[in-house]
Amino acid sequence: MELRQPVRILLMAVVALSLVLSACQPAAPAVNPPAAETEPAAPAGSDTEDPAPEGEPVDERLTTLVVAVDADPANLEPATNRAFPIGSEIIINVFDTLVAWKAPDFTTLEGRLAETWEVSEDGLTYTFHLRPDVKFHDGTEVNAEAVKFSFERTLELNSYMTAYFGPITDITVVDPLTLTITLEKPLSVFLSWLAQPQAAVVSPAAVEKYGDEFNVHPVGSGPFMFESYIPDTEVVLVANPDYWRGAPRLQKIIYRVIPDASTRRLELENGTVDIAQQNGQLYSVPVEDIKALKQNPEIEVIEVPSQIIRQIDFNNTNTDSPVADLRVRQAISYAIDYDGLVNDLLGGTASRVYGPLTENSWGFNPAVKENAFYYDPDKARELLAEAGYEEGELSFTLYSFQGTLWGNVAAFVQANLADVGINVSIQQMEFPPYSELHRAGEFEIALDGRQPWYNDPDAHITIGYHSELGPTAMTFRMPEDPELDQMILEAQAAPTQEERTELYYEIQDRLMEKVPGVYLFSPNIIIYKRANVKDLVVNSAPPLNEYWSVYKIAD
Amino acid sequence: MLEFTARRILYSIPALLLVLVIIFSLVRITPGDPAVALLGEGATEAQVKALREQLNLDLPMHEQFTRYVTGLLHGDLGTSMRTNRPILQELIQRLPATLELALFATLLALVVGIPLGILSAVYRNSWFDQAARLFSLVGVSVPAFWFAIILQIIFALLLGWLPVSGRLDPLVRPETVTGFLILDGLLTGDYDAAKDALRHILLPAAVLAAFYGATVARYLRANMLEVLSSDYIRTARGKGLAEVKVLLKHALQNAMLPVVTIIGLKFAELLGGAILTETVFSWPGMGRYMFEAIKVRDYPVIQGATLVFATIYMLSSLLVDLFYGVLDPRIRLKG
Repeated sequence: MELRQPVRILLMAVVALSLVLSACQPAAPAVNPPAAETEPAAPAGSDTEDPAPEGEPVDERLTTLVVAVDADPANLEPATNRAFPIGSEIIINVFDTLVAWKAPDFTTLEGRLAETWEVSEDGLTYTFHLRPDVKFHDGTEVNAEAVKFSFERTLELNSYMTAYFGPITDITVVDPLTLTITLEKPLSVFLSWLAQPQAAVVSPAAVEKYGDEFNVHPVGSGPFMFESYIPDTEVVLVANPDYWRGAPRLQKIIYRVIPDASTRRLELENGTVDIAQQNGQLYSVPVEDIKALKQNPEIEVIEVPSQIIRQIDFNNTNTDSPVADLRVRQAISYAIDYDGLVNDLLGGTASRVYGPLTENSWGFNPAVKENAFYYDPDKARELLAEAGYEEGELSFTLYSFQGTLWGNVAAFVQANLADVGINVSIQQMEFPPYSELHRAGEFEIALDGRQPWYNDPDAHITIGYHSELGPTAMTFRMPEDPELDQMILEAQAAPTQEERTELYYEIQDRLMEKVPGVYLFSPNIIIYKRANVKDLVVNSAPPLNEYWSVYKIAD
Repeated sequence: MLEFTARRILYSIPALLLVLVIIFSLVRITPGDPAVALLGEGATEAQVKALREQLNLDLPMHEQFTRYVTGLLHGDLGTSMRTNRPILQELIQRLPATLELALFATLLALVVGIPLGILSAVYRNSWFDQAARLFSLVGVSVPAFWFAIILQIIFALLLGWLPVSGRLDPLVRPETVTGFLILDGLLTGDYDAAKDALRHILLPAAVLAAFYGATVARYLRANMLEVLSSDYIRTARGKGLAEVKVLLKHALQNAMLPVVTIIGLKFAELLGGAILTETVFSWPGMGRYMFEAIKVRDYPVIQGATLVFATIYMLSSLLVDLFYGVLDPRIRLKG
C-alpha cells in the first residue's frame, strides 16, 4: 500500500518526460522534390545560367552543404594564417590567389586572378597580368594595387611567411592590371607559394573598414562570401553570384565544429552533416569506423593518397649514438614489416612510402622504389652483428605523439625491432613537449610526421633536409652536408619544372644512401560524404577542398 | 548580511591574486613552448624566435606578469595567441553556453534527485528505494562519454527525436540578446528557435544531470534518514502534524543544508569540468575553450579562463553560504 505514492509520482514523471520529448520532435520533413533539375550544367562557362528557376521553392537543405570540421578554424584571414588546415580551406573558398594547382591531379599551376604571367630570363622578375573586371565581395575592384597590398600585409603580419616572402625585394604596380614582383635570387618554387592561402588577395577597402576585426570579416573575391562566424560552433559562407568563373552551385556552406570523431560519424549517418574530413591526421582515422561507413549506402568514403609522410626519425648528429652508425639505421629499416603495417594495422587506409617524397609528388623518383628498404629481418640481424651489436644489446626509447593510432604504430615498430633483438620502450607525449624534445635533439629514434603545407617537392625537401634550418622539429637530424644543401637550393631555383624534377631525382638518390629516417607510410586523406553530394574535387596537399563545383541532389 | 557579503568579496581579492600567480607560473613551468605549438610541425627556428618576440615570451617572467596584471587592472584580459582575438570577447561568447547548460543540468538534477532522495528515505528499503539506489549507483559510476553516445544513438539516430549535437540547428539563427539561446528565443518571440534550442540542450543536460542528480539523491536520502530519526521530528509527529508537512517543512529543510553545499560545488564544477560532455555534444562552452587553449599552450587564455572559473567558484560558495542563512535562521552570517 505504501508504494502507491512513489509509483504515481514516477508514472507522472515518465508521462511528463515523454510529453516533453514528443513535443520536441521535429515535424516530419516535407518530402518536396527539389524544383531544380538535379543535374545542373558544369559551372565553367555557365555564368548566365540560373542555379534554380525563379519562383519555385527549393529545399534549403539541398543547396546548403554542411561540412564537419574538428576544431574552430581559429583564423579566417590570409595574412596571419599559419597553415591551420581548416582556416586555410575556408580562405581558399572565400579568396582567390594569383595562381592555383589545377584539378584533378594538382601537378601544374593555372592562372586564377592572374590571367597570364611571365618570368624574366634571369628568373628574378615575375610579371602578372590580372584578369579584368573581377570584383571583391564588397564591390571594389581587384587590381594590382590590391595584390601588392595583400602581399605586403602578409609579410608584415606573418612571421611564418618571412621565409617564403622574404626573398621579395620589390613589388611594382605597372598599371591597374599589371604587377611585377622582383626576387633577390631565382626561386621557381615561389610560384607554388603564391597558390597558398597566405598569398590570397584581400580587399584593401574591407581591411580598412574592419581593421583588427578583418579576421572575422574576411572579404575576398572567391566563389563564396563570408556570412557569419560563431566561435567553436560554425562558419557560414554564402554563394557569390558574381564569381568570375560562374556562380557556385551551392547557396551556402556551413562549417560545423564537431570536435569528437564519434559525434561526427553519428551526424554524418544522421544526414545532418554532408561531409566529414579527417585532414589527414593519423589519430582521427579509426579504421573500424571506415569499414562500417563503407557498408552504408548513404555514405561514400573518398580515399585520396596524400603527400603526408610518417616516419621514424634518427638523431644521428650525435656521434655517440648507435644510430650514428649507418648499419644500425639500415638494420632498423630492414626490420620493419611495411606491408603488415599498411595493410593489417592501418587496414589499407595508408600507402607505403619509399623515400623522402610520396609517389604522387611530381618530383618523385621511380628509382627510389627499387633502392628502398623492404622487410628482411635476417638482413637486419646481419647488419647489427656487423656493426658489433649482440642480440638484446641495443635499447632505445621511441618517442611518439598521443593517440591510439600513434600508440599502435609505436607498438608495431616495437615488436618488429624486438624481433631483430633491439629493445624499445615507448613514450607517447603531447605535441608541445614532444616538439621541444625534438628541437633539443634529446632523442635517438622518434615517430614523426611531415605534412607538406604547399604542393611542391620543396615542402618536404627543404624543410626536411636543409641544414641551415637547423634544429627545427621538421628537420631530419644528420651531419651537415654542404653539397646536399647546395643541391636543395638549386632545385628550389631551377627555372623549369623539368630541370627541377631532375634535381629532385638526384637529391632523393643521395638521401636514400644516407638513411636519415625510416619512411613508414603515407596516410590517405579520407573524406566521408553523403552519397548525394556530387563533384567534390579533393586536393592531395593542403589547402584541401574547393567547393565551387559541388552540388547536392535529392536523396 | 550585506556586511558579510561585502567582506567575503573583499577577501576573495587576495585569493584570486594567489590563483593568478599560481596559474601564471604553472603554465610556464609546463613543458611545451606556445610559439612552437602554435607554429606546428613545419616551423623553423627563425619563425619560432620571431613569434616568441611577437608574443612577448622573450621577456623575463616578472615583466610578463607585471604587464599582464597591468592589463587586467585596465579590464584587458589580453589577446589569444591562437586566434589573435581579445580574450574577454571570446569568454563572453562562450560563458552563456556553459552557464545555460549548467543551469539546465542543475534543474534536471534537482527535479529528479530531490524527489528520489526524499521518497527513498521515506520508503526506506522498499523496492522503490532499491530501484532509486540502483539508479544513483549507476548514475555516479557510468562514464559520461559512454552514456552520451548511448543517448545520441537512441534518441537521435534510432528514434530521430533529438539532434545529435550542437546548440542549434545551423539553419536556425535567432537574434542574440543574452546568449542564452532558449531565453533569447522566448524574449524575441522566436518560439521555434527556443524549441530548437531546448531540443539541443536535453541530451547534454541529461548526461550531466545523471551524475549530479544521483549524487544529490544519495546525499539527500542519507540526510533525510538521519533527520527523520531525530527527536524533533518525533515531537512534530506527536503533535499530530500532517505527515506531508513534517516531511517537507521540518525534515527536508534541515536535510537540505549539506545538499545545498553539494549543489553549489557541483554547479561550479560543471562550468569548467564538463569538457567531455561539451566535446561529445559539440557544445561551444568554456571547458572546450580551455582544453583547446591548453593543447597549444595559449597562456593568456588559460590564465583568463582560470580567473573566470575561480571567480565563479567563489561566487557560488558565497551564494551557498547566503542560502544557508535562508534555510536555517539559526545560522547568522557574520564575517
